[in-house]
Amino acid sequence: MATLQLSALQKRYANGFVALHGVDLAVEDGELIVIVGPSGCGKSTLLRTLAGLESITSGELTINGRRVNELEPAERDIAMVFQNYALYPHMSVFDNMAYGLKNRGVPKDDIRRRVNATAELLDLGALLDRRPRQLSGGQRQRVAMGRAIVREPQVFLFDEPLSNLDAKLRVQMRLEIRRLQKRLKVTSVYVTHDQTEAMTLADRLVVMNAGRVEQCGTPMALYERPATRFVAGFIGSPAMNFLPVTVHGERLRLPDGGELTLAAGLEAGSALTLGVRPEHLVALDEGDATPEGGAVIQATVEMIEPLGADTLAYARMEGLDELLVVRLHGEHAAGEGSVLRLWLSPERSHLFGDDDRRIEAHRATPVTGSRG
Amino acid sequence: MRYQRPGLDLASHLLLAVGCGLFFLPVWLAFTASTHSMSDLYANVAPLWVGDAGLSNYARLIHDPVSGLGTDVLRLLANSMVMALGIAVGKIAISLLAAYAIVFFRFPLRRLCFWLIFITLMLPVEVRILPTYEVVADLHLLDSYPGLILPLIASATATFLLRQFYLTIPPELVEAARIDGAGPWRFLRDILLPLSKTNIAALFVIMFIYGWNQYLWPLLITTNADYLTVVVSLKRLLTTGDALVPWQDVTATAMLAMGPPVLVILLMQRYFVKGLVETEK
Ligand SMILES: Nc1ncnc2c1ncn2[C@@H]1O[C@H](COP(=O)(O)OP(=O)(O)OP(=O)(O)O)[C@@H](O)[C@H]1O
Ligand SMILES: [Mg+2]
Repeated sequence: MATLQLSALQKRYANGFVALHGVDLAVEDGELIVIVGPSGCGKSTLLRTLAGLESITSGELTINGRRVNELEPAERDIAMVFQNYALYPHMSVFDNMAYGLKNRGVPKDDIRRRVNATAELLDLGALLDRRPRQLSGGQRQRVAMGRAIVREPQVFLFDEPLSNLDAKLRVQMRLEIRRLQKRLKVTSVYVTHDQTEAMTLADRLVVMNAGRVEQCGTPMALYERPATRFVAGFIGSPAMNFLPVTVHGERLRLPDGGELTLAAGLEAGSALTLGVRPEHLVALDEGDATPEGGAVIQATVEMIEPLGADTLAYARMEGLDELLVVRLHGEHAAGEGSVLRLWLSPERSHLFGDDDRRIEAHRATPVTGSRG
Repeated sequence: MRYQRPGLDLASHLLLAVGCGLFFLPVWLAFTASTHSMSDLYANVAPLWVGDAGLSNYARLIHDPVSGLGTDVLRLLANSMVMALGIAVGKIAISLLAAYAIVFFRFPLRRLCFWLIFITLMLPVEVRILPTYEVVADLHLLDSYPGLILPLIASATATFLLRQFYLTIPPELVEAARIDGAGPWRFLRDILLPLSKTNIAALFVIMFIYGWNQYLWPLLITTNADYLTVVVSLKRLLTTGDALVPWQDVTATAMLAMGPPVLVILLMQRYFVKGLVETEK
């Protein structure tokens, strides 16, 4: 139904603060784009400029190829779901959903039919006469969705729509949003700071940092090939471990003095960062043979966090200030104080230059899609 | 908090009754006085019980022009009603729009406008009475309803209170309305007005009573009995020169003058108490 194109979109607030430093993004028809990033990185700002609630300082925004920079929110044919729902407190659920249609001059019969159909879709039929304050959080959330859906807009915008719900409801609504979006096939932009929400909902994920797009791609692509150290640290939980390394000829020297062989082409003596996810550090049992290639790290467990299926171990590695986080099997017998032998696989590690960008050159074999 | 102690309950009810009695006593005395004939009143001390001249006193005041005023009390009440309603409605309409502009629109000198309005809180009618009189006289508004109403129609208090209320409205609500295609007037009509219903009801009561009780300004600009208000007339009834003060007329007029404000409070109270109980936000 609609494509969305952002070209060098910049936003400077009245106080001179630049919240968006030129964002480029193309959203395909029917795609669900999720924007994630730390607090204050400009996610809401981006969404609000798309909605037309904030003016665009420079750059261009087009919907279906039509420039909409100067259009009022109502003229852009978008619908937005707010974090606090922003339902009209004095109107019934029916009127809340009907208000936008009324303002557009849709005939009464049509309004009734469309609101009823949407209420059906969202299981709100029995609540149409209620006021928002007579609804539970989850029901309010659904009314807010209904208000967006009933308008049949070109684009849905969501600003952290689930963050006011409890964990269980959040999972349920997440699935529902996914189901509805796939069914209605409306192009959507969804802002969240919840990793799981981002990974599970997104067709493509946009990671933002300080007003810039760090990387954009499918959730798995971002997980497997983070383009920057920031993305590497942001996607995945617990976060990736980072080890400072130096280049010695063909090898990388690890903080504890160990060495890792990598393909040539790195400038000798340069200081790089090696990243490895907690789930990709393989704990070797007594007597296990050291696998070909890679390096073995010794680390002393300082703290254990059993999560059921997995156990997280926080371990001290010589020469490293931070604790190394390792994801072990739930049954793993590691206790506090025990020493882990961890195998670091070259295929499973990521290398970042001193500009924090990914260095691809060293990788001998391409990684495959499965988690370790 | 509620304490469940019978003794305490009794004591507080007793205290309440005494308080109510103290407040009610003057009203009661005025009422009884209004039901006696003039000769009765001057022959005895203040009567504590109703007399037999009540109906005739009130009927006379309502039907015939009162001596010393040149008009009947019904006319006085109508004048007061026009003035009080004009002031209350006008004040609310103007401060509603002023607060709307100040809170929801960005325009140059917005802060300055707000503070200018705010400062007028320190300039009640009494302070600016001479220049205001001059202006009203130049506009040929002496002895007219607009002359009674217009100089009192701007209200910093109401503007300020409505502004404080508007500030509590979440900005997302405004944005949702914008996305739903509600322009400024629609937003005012469909969202802001319904949400401020209870505030408006409360303000209406306060402003109506304020308008009804105006004394100095109407006294100053009305010389024609056709525009005399009931509150001003009370004082005029008392100034009889050498003749005896017709206390039965004074008290009966006072009783009648109390009617409309009491009525407004009773009618509106239902409205805003209901609003306060089932909060809309
Ligand atoms: N009206 C404004 N004027 C000036 N600066 C603003 C304004 N609104 C937001 N900012 C700044 O812009 C930056 C981005 O804000 P934004 O609300 O987009 O962050 P966010 O990514 O949505 O964060 P969060 O996850 O906490 O919601 C912040 O540094 C914020 O301080
Ligand atoms: Mg935000």
